[in-house]
Amino acid sequence: MAPSITRREALGGAAAALVLASCGGGDAPPPGGGAKPGSGAALLGSLLALEHAVVAAYAACEEVVGGGVLRNMRAIADQERRHVARLQALIRELGGDPPSGRSAEEYARTFPRLREPGDALAFAEDLEQRQVRAYLEALTELPDLKLRQAAADIGADEGRHLAAVRALQGLPPAQGPFVTGAL
Amino acid sequence: MAARSDVELLEDLLAIEQRLVSAYEGALRREAIDVGLGEMLRDHEREHAGAIERALAGAGQRNPRALVPEAKLTAALRSRTSFARFAVHLEDEAVAAYARTAAEIRNPRLRQPLGSIMACEAAHGVALRNALGEPVLID
Repeated sequence: MAPSITRREALGGAAAALVLASCGGGDAPPPGGGAKPGSGAALLGSLLALEHAVVAAYAACEEVVGGGVLRNMRAIADQERRHVARLQALIRELGGDPPSGRSAEEYARTFPRLREPGDALAFAEDLEQRQVRAYLEALTELPDLKLRQAAADIGADEGRHLAAVRALQGLPPAQGPFVTGAL
Repeated sequence: MAARSDVELLEDLLAIEQRLVSAYEGALRREAIDVGLGEMLRDHEREHAGAIERALAGAGQRNPRALVPEAKLTAALRSRTSFARFAVHLEDEAVAAYARTAAEIRNPRLRQPLGSIMACEAAHGVALRNALGEPVLID
């Protein structure tokens, strides 16, 4: 019997492709500019590339949702834009040149087809899951306390976003005691 | 002020977890929270406390005591609404403490798992706000 794949899994897989493309698969290497190697600027650049893609993804999601889901997605997208600004500022402080995002059309080609609110919420959940993981992994790699504090703060926001999009689907906001791995 | 040791940082987090466990246990006893939600939150906090105790084992662990003033918890237990607001406050404090500690702690292997608990506490805040009928995101 041929393996089956659920619609949710298909959407998640598309999101994975988006993330890979946004974090180096198709873009120029993250910032380099004048930042010193090992300063953390390159890692921040990868996080920024992901944030740019997520902002574009929420714009796509907003086209197929309404009511409370739309209000929440707009609130999340506003926070993601603030994350973009914070990461850009940090990269500049390190002497780097923050990577710019792609055009809306380029991002749109990498997104799954979103036909109904459930599609948008499943896509958003997958993206938030990946963002939480990316920021928490960055905590291990970033060399400077200030940069780790920023990653932790933004990671907490992404944890709230993940819980919110789960709640909007009628799922328990908290999936388990450890979101990405136990002590 | 001198930087705090990893053990001190973990002991602070353990005290926070013990405070959360006590709060949810009290709320369940007094029926100040939906049973399903309260049991899930309590069980998560117990898992967090157990994990931190294991991280502390053999590292000069003291025995932190719960920090919550009893009077505040008692007052909060008067209704489900007041308890949910109290618990949102505790969870927000926990998120802030985990964010600080995940950045500050010297052992890099502990940073990501502490962040994982932080994300769970953030989700608890959303669950409690959802139970209150408030917007799930506070901006």
